[in-house]
Amino acid sequence: MSDAVAPFEMPPQTGRKQELVVKAPPKALEREPLVTHQRSIGWLSDAIAGVAEGKTPKWWWMAFVPSVTLMTTCFTMILYLMSIGVGVWGPGHPVMWGWAIVNFVWWIGIGHAGTLISAILFLLRQRWRTSINRAAEAMTIFAVMCAGIFPLIHVGRIWFGWWLFPIPNMEGIWPQFRSPLMWDVFAVSTYFTVSVLFWYMGLIPDLAVMRDRSKTFIRKFAYGLFSLGWTGSNRHWSNYEKAYLILAGLSTPLVLSVHSIVSMDFSVSQLPGWHTTIFPPYFVAGAVFSGFGMVLTLLVPLRRLLRLEDIITVRHVELMCKVTLATGSIVGYAYAMEFFIAWYSGNPYERYAFINRATGHYWWAYWTMISCNVLVPQFFWFKKVRTNMIFVFVLSILVNIGMWFERFVIVVISLHREFLPSNWSYFRPTWVDILTYLGTFGLFFTFFLLFLRFVPIIAIAEVKGVTPQADPHHPLGGAKEGGHH
Amino acid sequence: MKTIPPPCPVPETGPKYWRSLDQLAETPEFRQWAEREFPAGASELTDPFTRRTFVKLMSASFLLAGFGLSGCRKPEEKIYPFSKMPENYVHGQPKYFATARPTRNSAVPLLAKSSDGRPTKLEGNPGHPDSNGSTDAFTQASILNLYDPDRAIRFAQNGNTVDAETALVALQKIASEAKDGTGLCILAEQSSSPSRARLQAALKDKLPQSKWFVHEPVDFDIHREAATRAFGQSVTPYFKLDEASVIVSLDCDFIGSEEDAYINIRRFAKGRKLERPDSSMSRLYSVEPLMTLTGMNADHRLRIPASGVIAIGALLAQEIAGQSDGDLAKAIASLADDKTVGALNDQLKPSDSKSERKWSPDFIKKWAVECAKDLLANRGRSIVLAGYRQPLAVHLLAHALNAALGNIGNTVVFHAAPEPEKGRGIADLAKALTDGEVETLVILGGNPAYTAPADLKWSEAQGKARKNVVRLGYYEDESFPAKGLSLPQAHFLESWGDARTSDGTVVSIQPLIEPLFGGLTDLEVLATLAGFEKTKTAPYDIVRETFKSLGGGGEEAWKQYLHDGFLADSAAKPVTVRLNGSNVASALASAEPVVVPAKDKLEVVFHRDYSVDDGRFNNNGWMQELPDPVTKLTWENVILLSQKTAEDLGLNIVNYENNQLKVPWVQVELDGRTVEGPAWIQPGQADNVIGLALGYGREKTGRVGLNSGYDAGKLRTTKALHCASGAKLKSTGVKHMLSITQDHGSMEGRPIIREATLEEFRKNADFARKMDMEKPPGMVDGSAMKSLYPNPFDEAKKTAHHQWGMSIDLNSCVGCSACMVACQSENNVPIVGKYQVANNREMHWLRLDRYYTGEVEDPQVITQPMLCQHCEAAPCENVCPVNATSHDQEGLNVMTYNRCVGTRYCSNNCPYKVRRFNFFDYNRRTLEQLKGPVYTTPLLHKTEGEWDLARWWRDPDRGTKPTDEWELLKLVKNPDVTVRMRGVMEKCSFCLQRIEGAKIAQKVKAGASGDVTVPEGTIKTACQQACPAEAIVFGNVADPESRVSVLKKQERNYSVLDFLNTKPRTTYLARVRNPNPAMPDAYTRPWSTEEFIKHNENPSEEGGGHAEPAGAEKKGAA
Repeated sequence: MSDAVAPFEMPPQTGRKQELVVKAPPKALEREPLVTHQRSIGWLSDAIAGVAEGKTPKWWWMAFVPSVTLMTTCFTMILYLMSIGVGVWGPGHPVMWGWAIVNFVWWIGIGHAGTLISAILFLLRQRWRTSINRAAEAMTIFAVMCAGIFPLIHVGRIWFGWWLFPIPNMEGIWPQFRSPLMWDVFAVSTYFTVSVLFWYMGLIPDLAVMRDRSKTFIRKFAYGLFSLGWTGSNRHWSNYEKAYLILAGLSTPLVLSVHSIVSMDFSVSQLPGWHTTIFPPYFVAGAVFSGFGMVLTLLVPLRRLLRLEDIITVRHVELMCKVTLATGSIVGYAYAMEFFIAWYSGNPYERYAFINRATGHYWWAYWTMISCNVLVPQFFWFKKVRTNMIFVFVLSILVNIGMWFERFVIVVISLHREFLPSNWSYFRPTWVDILTYLGTFGLFFTFFLLFLRFVPIIAIAEVKGVTPQADPHHPLGGAKEGGHH
Repeated sequence: MKTIPPPCPVPETGPKYWRSLDQLAETPEFRQWAEREFPAGASELTDPFTRRTFVKLMSASFLLAGFGLSGCRKPEEKIYPFSKMPENYVHGQPKYFATARPTRNSAVPLLAKSSDGRPTKLEGNPGHPDSNGSTDAFTQASILNLYDPDRAIRFAQNGNTVDAETALVALQKIASEAKDGTGLCILAEQSSSPSRARLQAALKDKLPQSKWFVHEPVDFDIHREAATRAFGQSVTPYFKLDEASVIVSLDCDFIGSEEDAYINIRRFAKGRKLERPDSSMSRLYSVEPLMTLTGMNADHRLRIPASGVIAIGALLAQEIAGQSDGDLAKAIASLADDKTVGALNDQLKPSDSKSERKWSPDFIKKWAVECAKDLLANRGRSIVLAGYRQPLAVHLLAHALNAALGNIGNTVVFHAAPEPEKGRGIADLAKALTDGEVETLVILGGNPAYTAPADLKWSEAQGKARKNVVRLGYYEDESFPAKGLSLPQAHFLESWGDARTSDGTVVSIQPLIEPLFGGLTDLEVLATLAGFEKTKTAPYDIVRETFKSLGGGGEEAWKQYLHDGFLADSAAKPVTVRLNGSNVASALASAEPVVVPAKDKLEVVFHRDYSVDDGRFNNNGWMQELPDPVTKLTWENVILLSQKTAEDLGLNIVNYENNQLKVPWVQVELDGRTVEGPAWIQPGQADNVIGLALGYGREKTGRVGLNSGYDAGKLRTTKALHCASGAKLKSTGVKHMLSITQDHGSMEGRPIIREATLEEFRKNADFARKMDMEKPPGMVDGSAMKSLYPNPFDEAKKTAHHQWGMSIDLNSCVGCSACMVACQSENNVPIVGKYQVANNREMHWLRLDRYYTGEVEDPQVITQPMLCQHCEAAPCENVCPVNATSHDQEGLNVMTYNRCVGTRYCSNNCPYKVRRFNFFDYNRRTLEQLKGPVYTTPLLHKTEGEWDLARWWRDPDRGTKPTDEWELLKLVKNPDVTVRMRGVMEKCSFCLQRIEGAKIAQKVKAGASGDVTVPEGTIKTACQQACPAEAIVFGNVADPESRVSVLKKQERNYSVLDFLNTKPRTTYLARVRNPNPAMPDAYTRPWSTEEFIKHNENPSEEGGGHAEPAGAEKKGAA
């Protein structure tokens, strides 16, 4: 594919027409286009579909093999855990939840960006979302899968995990609906279901593109099967747009509800450091923060590896950095607020819990969290940082680390020194904890890499809609005289 | 035998009536008519293909399928009928038998519970005249020894298994060849058994030349010896601590390591009960080198090296008895010379200048003088005690003091006690063995190879018996004779016997079960040696025979004796005694001089361990896992040091509270002998003193005791059995991991245990409730806050017959830990091993929290039993997603184990952290498998040659415990309590099984009367039952007359973490200290209260939430 120059000839401009041409805004006000280098529509199809079509690149294999290995480790660890008991992990009195819940909340948080980008930004008509929404949604689904593993395997009797669902059983006992863990079950499963549906809905036109481009029977058959007979007719598009809008509307409250409910796992209890009314909004902000962090971590190298710099542009990265900065600052505000309330409440237990966070045995975890979540995003005030891809990549990883520590701070530090000092103790992860956590990365990346190879990672149809060619008023776009596209 | 008549068949004879001629003829038409018309659906009975038949068949096959499936879940249990039914036996109904656990020179009267023929729980015998039905931790745990898979289970000759018959023949041969007994030496443990005394005499008659030796590694006989010396009469003292207003302990740990501590606790607690603000309570002064339970409970405690205790005794005596007798006064004065006292005083000087408030150049002297004044003010109502670790001189001083104070006959009484022969200690026997004077050595119980003083080199000496060594032992341990005869000893629950409790009452020991491994008792062995006829060596006959001389020969008296468990009115009569001043004076004059220890000349104190005694409980998992009541360490002993000593020696011992308690492994050298062990700082310990607990570091023990601790006995010599000086300590550079159940020792100013002085309590009776935090609005007058989720229990409780609650008196609780083991025994609580404890996974439903307040040199120590508080608004309940923990209408927070999936959220939300989680299958895994960090998985592991998964498939209950262990351990389980599996949360149930048992019994009793309310006092929880101090009271709080309701109405009543509005059903009575304001270390407020006030005077809280008016009032009062 040759660079530059649109494949369409500029229509010959008559004098009359010239009058009608909207003057381009002055250079200073001009927005950077969402697809740079005036890429043509055909180029877009080729570039995006090409990722899944061409020969498997070497780097893919180099990433895939370790991922599968890690994933296998994860399952081995789970088998080991199941065969003996939860004791192979670190928890004990008084820290009864350890890495499992930290990881759960962390992965769920990461899973927030996808739906936020696809649903809320869609409703807010943020057109820049189209370049990143597909990958972000895929990330969401895989992150929620990783997250979903933990609550199930962290229970003592895994084989009775289904008791958390309201399934009629011979014991005649219903789940306890006052328990936030129960709400969690519903919130997470609903979120996962809707996210998958939303993602798949959006995929249908693109799967049809893949089908149409397929050269082998198997590909054709598989893509054909999943594209559900999409022909791209007006009726299809009309129904599709409506359904997409409805799903976006449905997903939007879920973005807010999932992490609010996850936060209630903590705030409904009466433990100092958990029992905080600020948790729901603070958790949502944190989730969006970490989600964008993860999207940046994934897309910054991918846009280069897949040569998609023209579609996932620096502007996209910058915009995401800005969201990260905003949510990071909200999180920072929440941290400050927690301390203020602890002091203002006058409750010595509450106050101790927070002083202990900053100065206790786990001070290093607390200060890691503060530096990664509050200080690191402040770099994004600077355009130079936002446009430097290496910087952004490193900072986004720090954001992920910081958010993991935030959950660690909440879960472990609050528990390890609570009401009765006689209970005070320490939590230490075991090798199984560590390997299980690392293993979920294997699971995540295995799925993500497979996603890269089989599914268009950018919404082809949508991204075409934000090119200048799609804009009838743009000099390059619209159905101009004598032609259409 | 009553024959049940067979069921009556339909009479064939008699007239037959017919309805019609058709019926008579049995025509098919009639049959059809009868079927169609008469009983509805009758035709279906004969039609093979009707719906009913189908359902019948299907249900039968479902049932069959069910049988097949049930094999996956539960093992099949075959119940065989009795071929001969015992009388009054009801399957599943436990029976209680009176018996006793013999101790060194005493016994613990017991009621033992037998569930279907196996003893499962021991409780004190409340009928006994000197008992309130309580016990100690050792007794509670002794039942586990019965089912110890590692106990001696075979007869052995020269190490080879022989059958019992052969072994007994060999024993008879020894007896018959003994002639006049020359060269026959018997080494026995102490015993209070009248039968044994009788057999001993019989043996002496039969074999006059035989010699009898007694060995106890921890010997309390010094109390008798000292009394005999002091009064010139063969007597032994008995202390009535409840009648004393002032108690002075000269290194006497009467609450913890002395004999019959549970009786002392009962009496001590009785003297400190406060029903009203104007009640009086006793005052305890304690002088001791180590921090003991007694020191923890003292109102004034003076830490001093063990050898310096005598100086304090002498200082007291100077004030009290110094003028009475010339010789005595001189002897006393020489013991308390200014130089020694000055040197001891200097030891107390804190290195840290800011905490010098407890020190002055004559601090010790002032202390003693004021203490003496207090004693003098309480003549006849005071008591001075000397501990078994102290030399004779200290005991004599104590007797002299008691005599001078007029306590004798009042708070101290004396009973006649026979004096043993002189020169019959283990040292004499060792010498005889080495000299080759011993032909046959018979060891009756004990483990001399481990417990004998190191200088005797017993293991070698034991082999020097020229002909034979016969050893009756409970374990095949260090003393197991490689050459000779080894006889397995029977547990006291398997054997007939008798004993005397410390008040002299004769108690019966009757078996509850046949000897599991055919063990023998010392009575049998002695009878055989004494040449009794084979038919007369049965312990039953021996005991029965002895009883004739004690309680007459009547069968009824015997039955009564067995039924009651003791012989009524057999208690010893007090003897009138008079102090023999010259005896005391001469003994004092020859007393060892005080050696003030220094950092290169440390004093060593060997102490009886609170968990394993002298090693006899070394293989008992319950005791190994029972945290030491002072240090809270489990599974091993440590080398105890004071902070200053550790600093002086350059040891870095810090508890970082990070689950990796790594402490230096140090070497102690004493007279050329060395031991190595982990060093640990004990607050309140005297400087330059090291404390070594006995009973650990066994070389040959069972699978529980293996690798636990170091053997302190290696430093013990005949001369210095309890204290020695001149030890050196150096670090080896190695670190060692310890397991502790409580990392954090400070209460951080939180009002968890609330304390006041007696004076304060009298002025300000509800001081405890004034420490409450500000309540959320809406519940200020105790009225319940409007809840978003109305508790269904609020309605249910209006109609329930009982409302259960508990009150724990912190003023009575001394921290002895008997309750913890009682709970473990009653509720099938598993042990988890050292490494799981290090991960904070111990399973005790009831724990004892121990807090230090004040400086590390001289802290005040407080303990608090902490168990499920049974909150009415329980935070654990609303967070459980599967309804596994919920409330019953009687106010119990109940766990449904079957329903629990193990999210552990309940534990996180429990502010008291009293819930325990089965991280592993603790009941079914061996300790070795619980070690980590890599645990064996059943997917890869084999047990006894069988793949674990296959083994599990065949019998899911068996787990990976070896069969011998499993078969025995399952016998100890209480059949009324579920054994919890892995992944399940568990916690205190207020002994629900006992509550339900009593309720059912009451329902049966009530019959038509409908009076189903269980009467007060019927139900005692296991912890309450075992508590000697009666600190725990359980009962019906709906009944305003019940003891628990009365206690909860007391001014001292408070709830822990009241402000959370959990409304606990367990409340505490605040602790009251009784300091003497004239003392140099007097305090106006307990230091925990000081800490609380300090935290609450923080200016940042002025006007804040919880600086409530109580704080201001308190300041005003101070």
